[in-house]
Amino acid sequence: MYSLLLLNGGIGARVAAGQPKQLIKVRGIPILVYSLVAADAVPEIDQIVLNYPDGWREDVERVVRAYAIKTPVTYVEAGATRHDSVAKMLGSATNDDVLIHESARPLVSPKDFAALIADPCPNVSLMLEIPFTVAPVDPVTRTVTGYLERSTLRNVQLPQKFAKADLVSAHERAAADGRTFTEDATMVAVSGHEVRFIGGQDRNIKVTTPTDVRLATYLLTTTEESWDD
Amino acid sequence: MTRTLMVTGASKGIGLETVRRFLQNDTTLTTVVLVARKSAEYEHALEELAEHNPRGVELAPYYADLADRETVIALCRDVARDHGNVDVLVNNAGYTKPVPLQQVEFADFERTMAVNLYAPFTFVQELLHAGNQFQLIINIASTAGMNGRSGWLTYSASKAAVINMSEVMREELAIYGTRVVCISPGRTATALRRVLAPDEDPSTIMQPEDVAAVIEMLASPVGRFVDSANLVVRQ
Repeated sequence: MYSLLLLNGGIGARVAAGQPKQLIKVRGIPILVYSLVAADAVPEIDQIVLNYPDGWREDVERVVRAYAIKTPVTYVEAGATRHDSVAKMLGSATNDDVLIHESARPLVSPKDFAALIADPCPNVSLMLEIPFTVAPVDPVTRTVTGYLERSTLRNVQLPQKFAKADLVSAHERAAADGRTFTEDATMVAVSGHEVRFIGGQDRNIKVTTPTDVRLATYLLTTTEESWDD
Repeated sequence: MTRTLMVTGASKGIGLETVRRFLQNDTTLTTVVLVARKSAEYEHALEELAEHNPRGVELAPYYADLADRETVIALCRDVARDHGNVDVLVNNAGYTKPVPLQQVEFADFERTMAVNLYAPFTFVQELLHAGNQFQLIINIASTAGMNGRSGWLTYSASKAAVINMSEVMREELAIYGTRVVCISPGRTATALRRVLAPDEDPSTIMQPEDVAAVIEMLASPVGRFVDSANLVVRQ
């Protein structure tokens, strides 16, 4: 069985000022609900570890109750960074295998979780090919410093799956080295554990800007004709 | 696949005909939860349904006045406890006392809204809170909810609200894969119609079984091709 670490803790001024971005609504529904409902439909997930920004626990609990989420939820306060949040949530995970997702990706489906669970490797991430070119630069001198081969790069998506022991040891290694990572698949790989990837969906976007909210609204609307207002 | 059907206003008219059709034709049906006010008519209907129940589907009658919100909430609790998941909900019960604006008693307007709008809302909300996952919700509105009718202010307003509420439900419950359908029957030979149009010959208008046949179609696999908007059923 799996514990889902559902990241929900960042304070996002990018979508709307004053509210953590995860309490932003898409189609009038708190964005967090989409991930909770998708996870609730996955029988292999028997624990959801959900974090909340400081001061938002009651609001988050109210959403979980209102939507009658059947999977037991463990609440953990968010860390200072995403990296810290995952490290804190790991301590509350009761299973040997964990999934990581973030509520800012409301287009996740139960099939995404199922595909990761079905994969024989313990550490797997959804990833996408990159359809555009990424350049390495020196941001200080605003100089292009070289060339990156697109075919050897991937857009890292969530959800991901890890053996808890590998993820814990990677976090310990990062702490010892004083390094902070923006996501876990590369961190676990850098720490020496094998991490594989499977193809994700391009519709599984991360909602971080007002444009993303509109795009997610469009993608989540069942009939295209009704998306005008 | 097995499923439980719940029908409000099941003692007569469209509700009773709906139960009758499902009992005869839906091979996946295991339980029917019937809701209506206590009456001799209801008892008679239950006896008749029991006699024409070829597959031995469980008939679970409940007695409630849907104008009483506390009763509706308690009923939801009982249904969730006794029957588990309600797969198909038909919000059919309706009430009307048609009088012109100047003669509307506010308490009666409140009763109309309570039965026609708040009760369907409460059934859906309470069952969702209990963890129910609906396959299909069918809300029975009325063509009188599409255009206001002189003399029918309270009824028209309540049914207009049902049409609009159904649209919101359809959008919000899509996350569970629940289908929400709104039907607006025109003139149908029911007891409620006799209150609205006492001088009409009921044999000349649409019959409750015709509307029940539409409901049965909506609950069948082809139903999803015609459920995207308020479905007008009229002669």
